[in-house]
Amino acid sequence: MSNIDAPESDFGTGKKTFSVYLTGIVLCALLTMMPFYIVMHSVLSRTNTLFAIYGFAILQFFVQVICFLRLNSKTEQGRTNIMAFIFTVIILVVVVGGSLWIMWNLNSRMM
Amino acid sequence: MSQPATLEAHHHDGPGTDVFGFWIYILTDCVLFGSLFATFIVLNYPGAYGPQLKEFIQLPYVLTETFLLLGSNFTFGLAMMTFYKRKMAWSKLFLLLTIILGAGFVLMEINEFYHFVHEGYSWQVSGAASAFYGLVATHGLHVSVGLLWILVMIIQLSVTKNVRLNEKRMIMLGIFWNFLDIVWIFVFTTVYLQGAL
Amino acid sequence: MLKELILGNLSLEAIPLDEPIIVAAGVFMAIGMFVVLVGITAFKKWGCIWNEWVCSVDHKKIGIMYLILSGVMLLRGFSDALLMRSQQAIAADTSMGYLPPEHYDQIFTAHGVIMIFFVAMPFMIGLMNIAIPLQIGARDVAYPYLNSLSFWMTFVAAMLVNLSLVVGSFAATGWLAYPPLSGLKFSPGVGVDYYVWALQIGGVGTLLGGINFIATILKMRCPGMTLMKMPIFVWSVLCASILICLAFPILTVSLGLLELDRMMGMHFFTQLHGGNIMMYINLIWAWGHPEVYILILPAFGIFSEVVATFSRKRLFGYTTMVYAIGVITFLSFVVWLHHFFTMGASANVNAFFGIATMIIAIPTGVKVFNWLFTMYRGSIRLDTPMLWVVAFFTTFAIGGMTGVLMALPPVDFHTHNSLFNVAHFHNTIIGGVLFGYFAGFVYWFPKAFGFQLDERLGKISFGFWVSGFYFAFMPLYVLGLQGVMRRLVHYDNVAYQPYFIVAAFGAVLILIGVGFQILQIVYSVKHREKLRDKTGDAWNGRTYEWSISSPPPVYNFAKIPTANRIDEFWYEKEEKDPAHVHPNDTCFEDIHMPKNTSAGFFIAVFSGILGFAMIWQMWLPAIFGLVGVIFTVILRTFNNDTDYYIKADTVKQIELAHYKEMLS
Repeated sequence: MSNIDAPESDFGTGKKTFSVYLTGIVLCALLTMMPFYIVMHSVLSRTNTLFAIYGFAILQFFVQVICFLRLNSKTEQGRTNIMAFIFTVIILVVVVGGSLWIMWNLNSRMM
Repeated sequence: MSQPATLEAHHHDGPGTDVFGFWIYILTDCVLFGSLFATFIVLNYPGAYGPQLKEFIQLPYVLTETFLLLGSNFTFGLAMMTFYKRKMAWSKLFLLLTIILGAGFVLMEINEFYHFVHEGYSWQVSGAASAFYGLVATHGLHVSVGLLWILVMIIQLSVTKNVRLNEKRMIMLGIFWNFLDIVWIFVFTTVYLQGAL
Repeated sequence: MLKELILGNLSLEAIPLDEPIIVAAGVFMAIGMFVVLVGITAFKKWGCIWNEWVCSVDHKKIGIMYLILSGVMLLRGFSDALLMRSQQAIAADTSMGYLPPEHYDQIFTAHGVIMIFFVAMPFMIGLMNIAIPLQIGARDVAYPYLNSLSFWMTFVAAMLVNLSLVVGSFAATGWLAYPPLSGLKFSPGVGVDYYVWALQIGGVGTLLGGINFIATILKMRCPGMTLMKMPIFVWSVLCASILICLAFPILTVSLGLLELDRMMGMHFFTQLHGGNIMMYINLIWAWGHPEVYILILPAFGIFSEVVATFSRKRLFGYTTMVYAIGVITFLSFVVWLHHFFTMGASANVNAFFGIATMIIAIPTGVKVFNWLFTMYRGSIRLDTPMLWVVAFFTTFAIGGMTGVLMALPPVDFHTHNSLFNVAHFHNTIIGGVLFGYFAGFVYWFPKAFGFQLDERLGKISFGFWVSGFYFAFMPLYVLGLQGVMRRLVHYDNVAYQPYFIVAAFGAVLILIGVGFQILQIVYSVKHREKLRDKTGDAWNGRTYEWSISSPPPVYNFAKIPTANRIDEFWYEKEEKDPAHVHPNDTCFEDIHMPKNTSAGFFIAVFSGILGFAMIWQMWLPAIFGLVGVIFTVILRTFNNDTDYYIKADTVKQIELAHYKEMLS
């Protein structure tokens, strides 16, 4: 059964327009090719390479979230989604970061 | 005194609530992948026992895989936009394209595993290898489930005429498919790019 | 070849006919099941059970089923406790007791697993199901079909654990199954596989439930009920559900990787080949600590409801209560290393987690003071729910204090894995979680079933439970400080024996308490006409669940209320004249309800088949189970007939009947 006259649902996402998508895909393609290039051709030192590839990863992450997922703060649901997302990221940082700290600590004391 | 059902002021946004619930599920999946990433990093510390992943990685191959998945993300976006324009035939076509690109990704991954195993990097050889397969194959399994879901979606677009229901499902599927590409960003960065250094 | 694909490793030898205690337990279980099945057939109730209960998507019925599951599993978990207490009371010095070590190991493992996963969690989720939609003025949870699925997944998981008693064996590793003991080398049998598959299946159910309640609370509150006007129980359930969603995936990964080690020869947690055993311990406790806060937060929420109702006074410090819950929620993710202080981390790491653990006690203290301030100058009624609250104050305070004591790594180095630790967590789980759930059970029982529980029997069972608890666990604190470790099947020093005997005595007192609880239920059912709750407001409550009949109609509210204040219903009662509007003067509308479905049940059954088949490596049945799950899930999505309307006239008749009864 459908409610054709039902109010527009608030999905918490922005409008999906072609131009945003195209921008997104082009950016993602670039942000993918560059880290691969840097690693494949050993352009930078090891430390700088690490910074670069993770930097590109985080950038592409934001491009995908904004251009494809269209997460935004305009609607109330969008704001709820963002808050839930930020809290999850905080917990991830704590749990993954904490785990790495603990395991590195244990490892160094075992050797 | 009775009235036929109308949308009372407090009518709860059914599809919106469903999509929100799905978004929460995606966040739980983030934690799942986070734990797998942590395990991968811990078991793949420098000097870990066993053959080095470095010796097996073929970066051009991974780049191709990545573009297949990225491409499928784009074709899904096109499927979504044509859906909104009520161009159902185009939408189903783009969904089919998404399946093809996604299936290409999965097949390439299976092929990669096959070669790794034959060259001596099986999941039984070391903790580091186990973590590699654990993380990458879990992602691959999610993609495979997604492919099945897209197939079912194509059928539903043909069979179910309820537009709001289909819209909700397309949105949820789109979130899922997008999320898998986002996870892949971190997989190729941490496992393959960093692994190749 | 085909026989292997179908039967795998399963054979008649899997049934442990050579162990008399297990045979007796198995026979007892079989008789119990037989009696139930025969009874249902004799009373011709199969249709009703299938249509009204198994296929139900009604949160009230699902909640009741969770409570029944929890109660039945409590008997099994508690039997394990009695076995352990009696063994330890006897097995001193030259006496070896009556339980062989391999069997004892399975008993303490099953005890822990059953109590946490199949008693505490279902108890909590059952109460959540019954109360939350009613408290927020909603007609059901956000995802009724998923709700049904969640219950049946939990049920199937519990059945797997019960099955392990008679077909094969259960894990003998402790309730968290640390490797390498739980790895293939040291646990080659099916026990750990049963453990993993049961918890993975149950874990899916729990995770879906967490998602369900977050969506319900955030999206389905009645008009006017902003977040800061919700009952505190709703806040506590919201935060517990957030914890479930963020913590349970970690459990899924931990157990999943363990099973990959066992089934596919991987090396995540093996001693050799680059495995890292501590990673399992790290991950499992990153889940395990939030888990105990998942259990305690709803109990705190229940205390808030009960204290306010039975002090006839508004809860003191609503805002600080909310912030305390929020702080506890976040902090519960920052303390997990305190479960393994002794396992090799440096002083800095230990110090960080030790300090974090001490900090988390502060918001709990805020809550306790707020409850006490609520009671101060209130008009206090010491009915059974309130008695449980009062017992909680002292008991949980002691447990909390011993926890803060062990938060200091130097102290923990002495108490880790000792009976002091065992006493601490039973102190907080029984004194906090269980007493809270018991209070909630007695409090909401009239709402769910339509009649009160007998007060006198309730008070008697309370007396036995609380005294039993102290006799059972205070000696363990003393023994722990003297150096006695946990999970001992036997000990040399006879000087410990008196303490163990006192502890066994305490267990017997608790047994009597449980007996009186069962008696209370049976007696109350028998006298339910006399104990009938006619008004729906059995305790003169403050929140919306008390504004409708007991039990509520299937649609809960004929008209969704509008909440302008905290405890709006209480003020409605005080201010409205007349208090209740006659149904003939009310305008009713058709009500939109979800239809019952068997999909949840079947998905769970197929999951159980998949799990059992994987445990015994029966590959064809496993594929059958997996295909069944996928097929049912997809088939359900093609079902367009998933809801119906209750006509306004029907609603009116139901409301009229309740109105008449209320005035009689």
